[in-house]
Amino acid sequence: MSDQDTSRRRFLQAAGSATAAVALAGCSGNGGEPTDGTQTTSAGGDATQTTTSPEETTERPEPDTRDGYLQRANLHCHEQAPWVFLNRQYSVYGQSSDIEWQPRTDERVAAYAIEPATDAGDDVVMTQSQLDSGLDPQDHRETPTDNIVLQAYEGLLERDAEGGIVEKLATDYERLDETTVQFTVRDDVTFHSGDSLSPEDVAFSINRIVQSDVGIESPQVDQLIGVEGAEVASADDRTVNVNLSGLNPIVFASFATYCDVMNKSWVESNDNAYVNQNMEGTGPFVLSNYEQGVEVAFERNDDYWDDPAAISTFTINSASESSTRVNRLLSAETDIAVNVPPQEVSRVENSDDASVSAVPSTRVLFNAMRYDVEPFDSPEFRQAVNYAVDLDSIVENVLQTFGGATGQPTLEGFFGYNEEVDPYPRDLERAEQLVEESGYAGAEIELVTPIGRYLKDVEIAQAVASQVDELPNVSASARQVEFSTLVSQVTTGNIEDKPDWYLLGWGNATFDAIQTIQPLLASDGALSSYANEELDRLLDEAQSLPSESN
Amino acid sequence: MGYGRFLLKRGVQGVGVVWGVVTVVFILRFITPGSPIDTVAPLDASQETRQRIAEELGLNQPLYIQYLDYLWELLQGNMGYSYISSIPASVQVFQKLPATLELAVAASIVAVVISIPLGVISATRRHEPADYAATSFSLLGISTPNFWLGIMLVLVFAVEFNVFPTSGRAYGFMDSLAAITGPEPFFTVVTAWIASLVLPAITLGTYFTALITRLVRSGMLDELSAGYVRATRAKGLPESLVRYKHVLRNTLVPVVTVLGLQLGTLIGGAVITEAVFAWPGLGSEIIRAINARDWPILQGSLIVIGTGFVLLNIVVDALYAYLDPRVIAE
Repeated sequence: MSDQDTSRRRFLQAAGSATAAVALAGCSGNGGEPTDGTQTTSAGGDATQTTTSPEETTERPEPDTRDGYLQRANLHCHEQAPWVFLNRQYSVYGQSSDIEWQPRTDERVAAYAIEPATDAGDDVVMTQSQLDSGLDPQDHRETPTDNIVLQAYEGLLERDAEGGIVEKLATDYERLDETTVQFTVRDDVTFHSGDSLSPEDVAFSINRIVQSDVGIESPQVDQLIGVEGAEVASADDRTVNVNLSGLNPIVFASFATYCDVMNKSWVESNDNAYVNQNMEGTGPFVLSNYEQGVEVAFERNDDYWDDPAAISTFTINSASESSTRVNRLLSAETDIAVNVPPQEVSRVENSDDASVSAVPSTRVLFNAMRYDVEPFDSPEFRQAVNYAVDLDSIVENVLQTFGGATGQPTLEGFFGYNEEVDPYPRDLERAEQLVEESGYAGAEIELVTPIGRYLKDVEIAQAVASQVDELPNVSASARQVEFSTLVSQVTTGNIEDKPDWYLLGWGNATFDAIQTIQPLLASDGALSSYANEELDRLLDEAQSLPSESN
Repeated sequence: MGYGRFLLKRGVQGVGVVWGVVTVVFILRFITPGSPIDTVAPLDASQETRQRIAEELGLNQPLYIQYLDYLWELLQGNMGYSYISSIPASVQVFQKLPATLELAVAASIVAVVISIPLGVISATRRHEPADYAATSFSLLGISTPNFWLGIMLVLVFAVEFNVFPTSGRAYGFMDSLAAITGPEPFFTVVTAWIASLVLPAITLGTYFTALITRLVRSGMLDELSAGYVRATRAKGLPESLVRYKHVLRNTLVPVVTVLGLQLGTLIGGAVITEAVFAWPGLGSEIIRAINARDWPILQGSLIVIGTGFVLLNIVVDALYAYLDPRVIAE
């Protein structure tokens, strides 16, 4: 392996937060599985092939673009079936008829996009399941807090409603060379205090995330992995250079999701507790009231650098019970109820003053199967489990259509998604035959599922187990555990600590396949339950090429 | 033993109990599955990031060092900082305490206002329809899970008839006081405050109402058969005076004691009610802290509740000793 290859590999490990050394028991990389990509269903990436079943083999030409390699990686995952591919989660909201608003794919609710439909819609209230974990935009990494801080803070880049990258506080961005990217900072922006936004603020904000000696141990550091620091390149030109440890194809995708810009002097003159209870951003709303755990209220920023928001005030409160959120909506106490579960949808739809809005989210649900233990060390057995699951029935009956069946780790619309890979159809005969071929007929397997972490997680796990149990040569059951118990098992960095078969969900806000496949399926992924040299090679190649879209 | 020594003894015992609470609560975090690092760090955080967060939170220290550090800080009035928000635990806990106290007091008021007349009616009309109705009510109240009752009350009175808000706490008691001189209309603030309090207070107070009704009923029946009642009746006192001036007053002594002690139980028992009504009190905070493994907040909340319970007991003991000196001798 050349030095360049080594460097790429090192970055790749980092890109998926995979610095953890995953112990691969008895594994030289492929777990005894075919590594030459001889199993095929359909074309991967740039290749042109006919669609066949996962068990059939076809020779494929090598892709020549990053997109092609990622598509091929998805195809490999479909064929080798390291997961039982389940469903894409939908974000489901209840919204009052007083407002006009379309939900976003990335699960974030920007009040800037809300428009009043009636006079009452000028003051908007949103109820989500929980409030913030503090108002520091760089000291969290969960959606409820995102929804609060994004009203007042902004990043250099952001996502539009479809997930595309657009400029925000940067007017331009470019890749100078393999280890440097440059942002040009907007010059007409002021913080809520009236201070002008400077390139120093931008460089400080980036460094505060990636350099622990600048202020905090930011949980967003792994999302800007490969970013070593930032410095002002030219104060006159308002340019900031960001230094990378190597080629990072998704650096702009990462900056479109993370790294809100803060006022350097404000942060440095206040302690963490103050920064967590106050806001000093550049965004379209100004914090007007903060009662920790009760409500966060905003007023429109009339001095906003872009057009002012259409609504005057935006208040966020919380109710952990979904029925309470829906009750508030139906009683006109709130305008947006976040996370309306399927069983509550009809109540909202039957109301004259509220409706349901749903959008596919960035989260995929799957059952990981450890490649290093019996019977899951057999690709045939893993495929059989996929053939035994009736995904359409789960989406229809458990999720009441608020979900989408998947057949690969990457979600539709993401960079690297392989359009020619379909979800596994239910085929009990083929499943039974594959179990026999695997040599594990009579196997007893147990699916470990968290309770209440993901929408209908227990019900989905029970459906999967019961459908697999219908096979005459496999016995399957589901076992519930607290999410924290499962997390403590899957995050140790040691594959032997993980359950053999477990349900997990994964949100990928970068809209790029690498941020799903790398941490979850690469040999050195932080959460990986799988190892395969061919997949690692495809990911290596993908990360050695610049991204065509981002 | 004098009254002063008695109080001192009770005080020392109370400190011992609080120390026990602190220790048990501290140990609980080590036998509970999951780590706060899993909450603070993303799922895919590297082991290096996890290690750095552990160091920042002091979780990499040996157990006894963490315990001694915590005790030392506690003695100086510092409950630590929330792992999640970095806000001092004492600030977060004491911000939430008034809402829970308000709910507990309101539930007690609901209980007293309903249960005493019911108990009296039940006792004075023994084996009559009114007695059966009151007894059935108390049985129903004790048997009904309060989360179910809360949901039903919301569906009927908030969603269907729109009489009360579905959940939340619009204003607090202090807001109402401030409205006397503040810019917001006093009537509006007080109305909104009481309206948001009614359904949670009924939900939390129902079990308590049933309990006190039974207590009043049995207490009055005991008293009504006492010798002094026969004497007062023989003296020619009107029956209403006998019942309400003599019998009820004597019945209320144990009721007041139970009320005082149950206030602590109500504060602890408000957890479910607060979750149903999204009531921003200590109960909601405890649930959030457990889910997030935010130990400083959980420890702070439980220590405040435990200390309050101990103080309440000491006050009750002191009053008993004051009223009945034989308690000191015992």
